[in-house]
Amino acid sequence: MAYEQPELLKDLTAEEAQLILALGTRIAVPSGAFLFQLGDPAERLFLIERGRIRLTLPMQIRGRQEDVVVEERTSGQTVGWSALIPPHKFTLAATAPLETEVIALPREKLRKHFAANPAVGYKVTLNLAVVIGHRLQLFQAMWLRGMQRMVEKNSA
Amino acid sequence: MEMLLMVLCMSVFGLAVAAIAFGAATRPGPSSSPVQPELQPVKPVKAVPPGRFFADIVLPPISPGSHVPTEVLLAQIENHVRLEQAAAQSFLESPSHSQLHTKTTSVFVN
Repeated sequence: MAYEQPELLKDLTAEEAQLILALGTRIAVPSGAFLFQLGDPAERLFLIERGRIRLTLPMQIRGRQEDVVVEERTSGQTVGWSALIPPHKFTLAATAPLETEVIALPREKLRKHFAANPAVGYKVTLNLAVVIGHRLQLFQAMWLRGMQRMVEKNSA
Repeated sequence: MEMLLMVLCMSVFGLAVAAIAFGAATRPGPSSSPVQPELQPVKPVKAVPPGRFFADIVLPPISPGSHVPTEVLLAQIENHVRLEQAAAQSFLESPSHSQLHTKTTSVFVN
C-alpha cells in the first residue's frame, strides 16, 4: 500500500522523514479508547497512520458533562501539537471512534533531533505552523459565524 | 258540623305552612351559618385557575429541548459542528463576506 507523506513531514526528503519516524513508537488505539485527555501533560505528538481521531471538548448538557466533537483528524494528519507548544498541556481530548494506529513522537527526542538537524526542524516547524494556523483560521471563521447568528437573534 | 270544623282546621294549618314556606323563601337576610362552611371549599378553586393557566403558558418555551433525548441533541450538535466547519472551510478557500455568512441548514440553530 502506498504510504502518503504525513502533513507534518511534507517537503522532507524520504530519508529525513524516515529518521523522524524512527524516533517514534507505533501505538494501536482500540475503538472508543482515549489517546489523551484534556489537561494531560503533552509529551508526545501523534501522526495518524490509520483510522481516525475525534477531538472533543467538554460541554454541560442538561447538567451533565458531555464530550462534543469539534474536529476529526484522519490518516496522514497530526494531533497533539501541544507537545511542541508551551505550556505542553492538551487543550482537547482525543478518542478513536474506530481502531486506529498512530506514531507517537516524544517531544524530547524531536527537540534533540531538530537541534542536531536545524534544516529538518525548520521544515517540520513550518508544517506544524500550517496545522496550527489552519485550526486557528477555521475556528475563527466558526466563531464569527456563531457571533453573527447571536447578533441577528438579539437584534431581531 | 264536624266536617266543617275539620276542613277549617286543615285550611288554617295549610295556610300556616304556606306562610312559613313563603317567609323562608323570600327572606333577604344573611344565610344561616351551617350553609356558609359548605361554600368555603369552593374558594381555593378560584385561586387555582389563573396560577395554573399562567404556568402552563410559561412552561412550553422552557421545555422544548427536554423532549429531545440527549443522544439526539448530541448528534445535532455534532452535525452542526460539521456543517459549520464545512462552511468555515469554504470561507478559507475563497474568503469573502458572503462566504463567511452563508446560511446554515443545521437543525440545531434553526
